[in-house]
Amino acid sequence: MRNFILFVRRFFNLILFLSLEIVCVILIERTNTLQGNDIISSANAVSGLVYKKRSDVVYYFGLRNMNDSLLNENAMLRRKIEDLKSIDTLKDSVALHKVISNDTNTHIVKYADYTYRSARVINNSINASDNYITINRGSKDGVGKNMAVISGTGIVGRVEHVSAHFASVLSILSAKQKVSAKLRDATIGYIVWDEKQPDQLQMIDVPPQAKVKKGDSVFTTNFSFFPPDILVGTVMRITVLKKNNFQKLYLQPSTNFRRLQYVYVVENKMSEEKKRLEDSTVKK
Amino acid sequence: MNVYLKNTLRFIIIALLQTIILNKITLRWWSEPVGFPIFIPFVYPVFILLLPFETPVWALLILGFLMGVTVDTFMCTAGMHAAATVFVAYLRTNVLSALQPRHLSEYAGLHPSIRTMGWMPFLVYSAFLIVIHHLVFFSIELWNFSNVGFLLLKIAASSVTSMLFIVVYLLLFTRQSATRS
Repeated sequence: MRNFILFVRRFFNLILFLSLEIVCVILIERTNTLQGNDIISSANAVSGLVYKKRSDVVYYFGLRNMNDSLLNENAMLRRKIEDLKSIDTLKDSVALHKVISNDTNTHIVKYADYTYRSARVINNSINASDNYITINRGSKDGVGKNMAVISGTGIVGRVEHVSAHFASVLSILSAKQKVSAKLRDATIGYIVWDEKQPDQLQMIDVPPQAKVKKGDSVFTTNFSFFPPDILVGTVMRITVLKKNNFQKLYLQPSTNFRRLQYVYVVENKMSEEKKRLEDSTVKK
Repeated sequence: MNVYLKNTLRFIIIALLQTIILNKITLRWWSEPVGFPIFIPFVYPVFILLLPFETPVWALLILGFLMGVTVDTFMCTAGMHAAATVFVAYLRTNVLSALQPRHLSEYAGLHPSIRTMGWMPFLVYSAFLIVIHHLVFFSIELWNFSNVGFLLLKIAASSVTSMLFIVVYLLLFTRQSATRS
């Protein structure tokens, strides 16, 4: 026992150093799982408050850009409404049949129910290998874990940590998550990020027979946590992998991550049910 | 000013400086070359570098851990900055005693600075520890040694910019009392 105490006193600094490093490694390890830890994240009360104060100051400098982006989004939404209105169902021959009949053998299939909540970005990073965005909505506003986050122009990420008034969002610029995406002809692939350039995403696993052109748009699919048919980006460059002839596309993301100011948190009210069902199948 | 109060204030100022201002400065060198990493300057290790000469190693380690965890909290990188800063705090005493002509206990009441050490030794001391810090931090962050060139490029570019910012910080916040006192 005496020897042990002498040993501890002799190497106290080394032991303290090693134990602190072990604590760090445990913290890193726990964050790298997708559950994450909520205490040390930018969604906690103190850092959220500091970021909010900073954002209140910097807010006014970005108003001009924000106005422009909101106008563009308004125009896009108006166009979508016009697209839906301009079909005159009365004169259309198809409309002679009842589209939704009240018969017992047909019914509307509803597989998703989305709620959109707007939120302001109060902190944003693009330089790390897992980039986080802090927003000023938390569990009190109905934001929950694993909800999708989109901007007016494209996808942004997934909510990872939530506190009462703030949430931190793991952006698509992260090595941790990959998102399924499709081309216009419904060819499915995966969106990944190579941790280098915030202006470049990659789409992998695109089969060799898919015909891709420069400038094609890429959208989200039904399989991911994002709502379907949201723009991801446009194709900038096409490469063919030598080992299996699969194509790898380099995309220009449609969201400008450098100047992100407003985002929408999308809640799918049916995702819980879907996930429970999927989990129960996996267990068996 | 009391040494504890002074260092507490410095802790708060450096932490706020790093998280509020410097984390927003995303640097790209020479317009936008392909494959060149983007990065932000890390100035917060300067808190560990500027603690008094005779600070015991255990205090350095604990303060380094606190500083690292604070920055981690703001940047959502739990543990990564803390690991790098604790490593730097552990090495600090050895580097200082290798650079200083006399035993560290003889510098009572002083802290490492350009005034007490001179330009050259202080720059060697800070540059060495900053490079070590960036090496540890980026290795943990990327955790992928398939692209060593990119990692080294990121470390080199980031260390050079961090050193520039640290020198600017020292020139701004060091009292020019050498002539007055």
